[in-house]
Formats: sequence, C-alpha cells, structure tokens
Amino acid sequence: MPVGYFGNSFRDQRDGRSARTPSASRLPVWASLGLSLLLACLAVALRAPWTLAALAGVNLLYLVLCRVGCGLLRKAMRGLVWQTAILLGLHCLRFGAEGVYPALRVSSQLFLAFLPGMIFLASTGRSELVRLASGVLPPTGAFVLGASLHFVPLLVREVKGIYHAQVLRGARILPIDIFKPWCWPDWVGCLIVPSTVQALAMAGEIAMAARARDFGACRHRTCWPGNALRPDPEREP
Amino acid sequence: MISEKRLTLRDSLFIGFCAVFIVIFRMAFRWHLGISGHSMFYTISLLLLARGCVSFPWSATFAGALSGGMALMLGLGKGGPLILAKFLFPALVVDLAALICPLFFGSYLAVALVAALAAATKFFNTALMDWLVGMETVMILQHALIEAAGAVFFGVAGSLFVPAVLRKLKARGVI
Repeated sequence: MPVGYFGNSFRDQRDGRSARTPSASRLPVWASLGLSLLLACLAVALRAPWTLAALAGVNLLYLVLCRVGCGLLRKAMRGLVWQTAILLGLHCLRFGAEGVYPALRVSSQLFLAFLPGMIFLASTGRSELVRLASGVLPPTGAFVLGASLHFVPLLVREVKGIYHAQVLRGARILPIDIFKPWCWPDWVGCLIVPSTVQALAMAGEIAMAARARDFGACRHRTCWPGNALRPDPEREP
Repeated sequence: MISEKRLTLRDSLFIGFCAVFIVIFRMAFRWHLGISGHSMFYTISLLLLARGCVSFPWSATFAGALSGGMALMLGLGKGGPLILAKFLFPALVVDLAALICPLFFGSYLAVALVAALAAATKFFNTALMDWLVGMETVMILQHALIEAAGAVFFGVAGSLFVPAVLRKLKARGVI
C-alpha cells in the first residue's frame, strides 16, 4: 500500500525504529550534520596514517554520540573489506607492489569519507532532515532531497533483489560478465531497465503517499514543525 | 518527446534518485588510479536517463544542481565550489540538446554526440581551476585537453546504453 511509506507501518532503514520517531542522537541535527561534513572533508584531505587512525577514533566517538547500533558499523566494515580487496587488485595491477600502501590508504580514506554520512542518515529522522533542508532550499526541493536520500537504501535493496532473481533465472550479470561485451545486453535488459522501472514506480508511490497527506496543499510549509514530533516536557508527569 | 512545463512530484523524486546515485557513484569510485574522466561514465548516463525518462525541459539541470549541491556539501572533488560547475555544465548541454532536438534519445549516434559534448565541458572546468591556481597557459591547455579527452571517452561509453533502456521503457509504456 503506497501510503504506508509515510505511515507508522513503514519502518525506516534503522534497526526497526519508526521513521517518524525523532532522532535518538545526543547531538542537535545541525551540529550532527556539521560534524558529519567536517569528518568527511577531513577524510579526503588527510593523508598520513596516524591522522587517519585518529580520524577513525573520532568517527567511533561520533557513532557513540549518535547512539547508532553496531549493525551499521558491521555493514560498513563488510563494504570496507570488499573495497580494499578490489582496490588492492587494481593498484597492484597498475603499480605492482608499490601500489599496496596507496590502495590501503585510499580504501581507508573512502571508508572514513562514507562513514560519517551513513551515521548521520541513520541517526536522523526523515522529518528532521527535511526541516533542516527547508532552511536553504525551496519547500519542494527540500522534500525531494530528504525523500530521495532516505529512500535510496530501500531502492538499493530492491535492485539487489532484482539482481539476485535475474541471476537465478540465468542472466549473465555476474561481476565477471562485465568484462564480456556479449553479456552487456543482459545487463541492460535484466538489470538496468527493471531497476529504472522500480525507481519510477517507487517515486510514483512516494508522491502518491505524500499527496494523500496533503503535501503541497499549503504552499510554504511541507513538513511538520519540529516540536510536533517531540514530547512536550511540560505535559510529562 | 513532448515537453511538459510543470515538474510533477513523481518526476522530481525520480530526478532526486538519479542525483543521489550520481553522488554515491562518485564517492564509491574515487579510486585515485590516475584515470582521467572516469566519473563521466555514470554522471553522463544518469543525466541522460533523468532527462530521457522525464518530460520536464530542465530535468537534467535539476539533477545536476541537486547532485552538485550534495557533492559540495560532502567536499567531493578538488575544486571546492567549482564542483557545482562539473555537474551543471554537462546537465545544461543535455537539456539544451533535448530542447533543440527532442528525438535525439532514439539514436545511438546522436546520444553519443551529445554525451561527447556534455563530457567535453570538463575542458572548461579544468582550465578554470588551473587558471585559478596560476598555471601557465600552455600547461593549462595541455592538461585540460587530456582531462577532456578522458571525460569524452568515458562519457560516450556510459551513454551508449541509454537509447536501449529508453526504447524498452517506451515499449512497455513506463514513460
């Protein structure tokens, strides 16, 4: 049911926490965003191994402050292992043994550039993100940005499902097949086209769900004000 | 393709997905292998897909602006605020081409030509960046040409699947 995208039945991408639940982070959203951007920029700018190690420590502290579970870290580490293996292979092919250190450095830099953004997205509620973006973007633009960022993990899961189903059907879209030009039509017909259809369908369902909740009825306000979702301290016993 | 003046919420969300994927790919493929212009492979293909699937005349520019803004916030690229131009210039070329010849998405040759023109805008970005850091004119031209040649190669390679995808989507009545 499309409207479920914005209802309580839809669980956000974070460990079963409802999408409408405000952030559990100890940091305010704007501070969390600023810290996340700073850490991502530092990961790109820093080169020395000890600075990267220190940055990894700061990232762990950020993870604890944002109260994100270890599941996210485990998922990120799995990606790191794959990425390091690919980069080591590519760098060794191009530079020989001298490519080992740059490959490890680039891989850890990429990991540290990705991790703060993942923590920020996992620890911030969708409505909070949209409210934050509303300050700098037009209302529709803020909603589009917030919704796109939050539904991309779901879309990636759907694309993975399509990929596995097509592999089971015998489509020649395994990673090795990317180097075989005669398999490229399978990539287009069995993966890219269904994934584009899925993205269009998901966009249509999100738009329908938003309209069902009067999105666009008021020209300027497109998200609930911040205190509507937060418990009122005066009402609490 | 009939162009609509108004951008619907569904179309803008699809464009948003394209923009997010451009940034994700750009982050994921920062492999520092010394291969110039490889980011144009997915940038051009996703910009073409955003314009081809949506009838709004400036949809590629919208996708470029969104992805450029996100890349700017994430500190991607070496040019600081100039990173916005890296996404906006190719997107403008795609949109202008679609305005001039709306049916170009059906032809492999026309799509490759538009992709080459869009990717070649990297010449101006690189030249501007080099000029700002104070390089000599000859060096600027050489460097910008090398970068643009790589970008054109990867941009054209990435664009070649777009006509097939759009044809299949049209045949199934999705767009």
